[in-house]
Amino acid sequence: MKISNMAWRNLWRRKRRTYITVLSIGFGVLLSVTFTGMAYDSYTKMIDTSAVMGLGHVTIEPRGYNDSPSLEKRLSDAAGIREQLLEINGVDSALERIMGQAMFASAGKSIGGAFIAVDPDMESVESNLFIRSIVEGGLFSGQNSQGALVGTRVAKKLNIDIGKKLIYTTTDANGEIISEIARVSGIFKTGVSEVDGSMIILPIDRVRSSLGYEAEDATLVSVVVRDQRRSDEMRDIIMSKLRNPAWEALTWRETQADLASIITLDKSGNIIIQVLIGLLIAAGILNTLLMSVMERTREFGVMMAVGMSPFTLFRLVIIESIWYAILGLCLGVLITIPWYAFMYLHGIDFTGMVGSDYSASGVLIDPVMKIRLYRESAAWILTALFTLTILSGIYPAWRAGRVPPVESLKEI
Amino acid sequence: MEDHAIVRLEDASKYYRQGQMEVHAVDGLSFDIHKGDFTALCGPSGSGKTTVLNLIGGLDVPTSGKVFLEGRDIGLLSRSKISAIRRDRIGFVFQAYNLIPVMTAYENAAFVLSLQGVSDRECRDRVTAILKEVGLEGLENRRPDEMSGGQQQRVAIARAIVTRPAIVLADEPTANVDSANADSLLGLMERLNRESGVTFLFSTHDQRVMDRARRIIRLHDGRIESDEVFN
Repeated sequence: MKISNMAWRNLWRRKRRTYITVLSIGFGVLLSVTFTGMAYDSYTKMIDTSAVMGLGHVTIEPRGYNDSPSLEKRLSDAAGIREQLLEINGVDSALERIMGQAMFASAGKSIGGAFIAVDPDMESVESNLFIRSIVEGGLFSGQNSQGALVGTRVAKKLNIDIGKKLIYTTTDANGEIISEIARVSGIFKTGVSEVDGSMIILPIDRVRSSLGYEAEDATLVSVVVRDQRRSDEMRDIIMSKLRNPAWEALTWRETQADLASIITLDKSGNIIIQVLIGLLIAAGILNTLLMSVMERTREFGVMMAVGMSPFTLFRLVIIESIWYAILGLCLGVLITIPWYAFMYLHGIDFTGMVGSDYSASGVLIDPVMKIRLYRESAAWILTALFTLTILSGIYPAWRAGRVPPVESLKEI
Repeated sequence: MEDHAIVRLEDASKYYRQGQMEVHAVDGLSFDIHKGDFTALCGPSGSGKTTVLNLIGGLDVPTSGKVFLEGRDIGLLSRSKISAIRRDRIGFVFQAYNLIPVMTAYENAAFVLSLQGVSDRECRDRVTAILKEVGLEGLENRRPDEMSGGQQQRVAIARAIVTRPAIVLADEPTANVDSANADSLLGLMERLNRESGVTFLFSTHDQRVMDRARRIIRLHDGRIESDEVFN
């Protein structure tokens, strides 16, 4: 009889104990998938949302701009860069943008804020959160129009509405103060109060001419990639394609350090939870195998007496733990698939508890909790639990082979 | 060493410490077992019978003295070598049968052959033949809990002899079976000894075993009290 067959039969000596152990491993898969999937769904949404708020997953900008932003720093051939970027496989969109600080004033009030100048013909609801979030009016048409898209709280603070005038004041390419009139064409509400209270979207050509920029100048080119997890790889590809030492490509981790820190912190917490889940499962399996080994001390003594080597005995118990792992993981996959399908497609809506405008670190967070698991995470979870189960079997297996047969045979 | 001595004990002793006391389980034993012997180690409980079997079987090591199996000093061998010797050269029959509960009669009998790496075909031929020889034809697929004590002990004997060992060490083989089964088992072992030349060494205090043994070594307090050979 093969050792694997013997190990399999040994599993079913105590059916209830085997069911409980297998269930605990299966439940561990479910928990790990849920926690990991929740985290990754949340990270992906946060990263993708922040990307369409102006900077993209990867930003091409003048070297040093990220450390000390200034309207004096700019890319001289933004359109050319954009054209090159769109040729790269994996790039979903590449958009020229001018970004800067400004004072906004209406007839009676003024506030400090920021503007993003965009080309309305290039922007879409997919690539621009502000367009997606328009609650009144619409985006200005024409690159040189006088239109402006303002946040709800900006409109409220300045007491302006659709069609009303506002004046923005900033410094131009030479450091001179300039002012320009705009007329509100639309109002957006992202739900992030800091953004809604300070951001204005302007037409890019008009801003170029106000700042004294050339026709193809821009502060940056914002790149949205198909899969945010490939941001680092895409940055390297972009840098190797552009080859201009005056420019640099930065990922969202560098341009949005706050968001990156939050995600890193959350990932650390998630790892701790995963480790705790793993330890709980490991303790259960260790207990099961140890009990099973202790119960069979005499039997192991007989096996050794008739010629089974301690190493073969070690293998027998390890194979038992492998069977537990296989059964547990199969059960885990079976119970996790319907749960995952529900959570991936529908999720649980927490709007009633947190509202629809929930945000963290200036990034909007979806109140519908979903889970999303990438292939590598699924493989990692299954591999980790499989390894953990086998590791849990090492001590009982070692112990099984350590007891001298003559002592084992004395056991009742 | 003599040509046909399978087992030789040379002044072998085994001492245990029990609290503050040192127990002399076996005290300076010397004797030989030859090929084809049908020998009984007799004596009251605590006389050292099982300890002697454990020393010969390499399950225990002597505190002093030497134990040779087919000329090899067991005390000098590594654990893995002793395991291999037990697997290939020694058959064990235990008082409590000690079959593996998750295996059928066939699988129990074939267990040691599978450890030896014998091919499936050869294993099947040998196990089928041996189960027939011990009178278990038709019961191959029964598990231990589906067999009587006598049947289980027959499986244990089949397991012990199927590898054609140099010696079968049987520790009180009739202690847990009724008298009819005990007679039948002894008849079986006697026949295997006579017809196949299997060497048996029993530990027993069962008179029926002693009546059939051709040599009786009586132990008392770990020492040989008498060593008689019958023809």
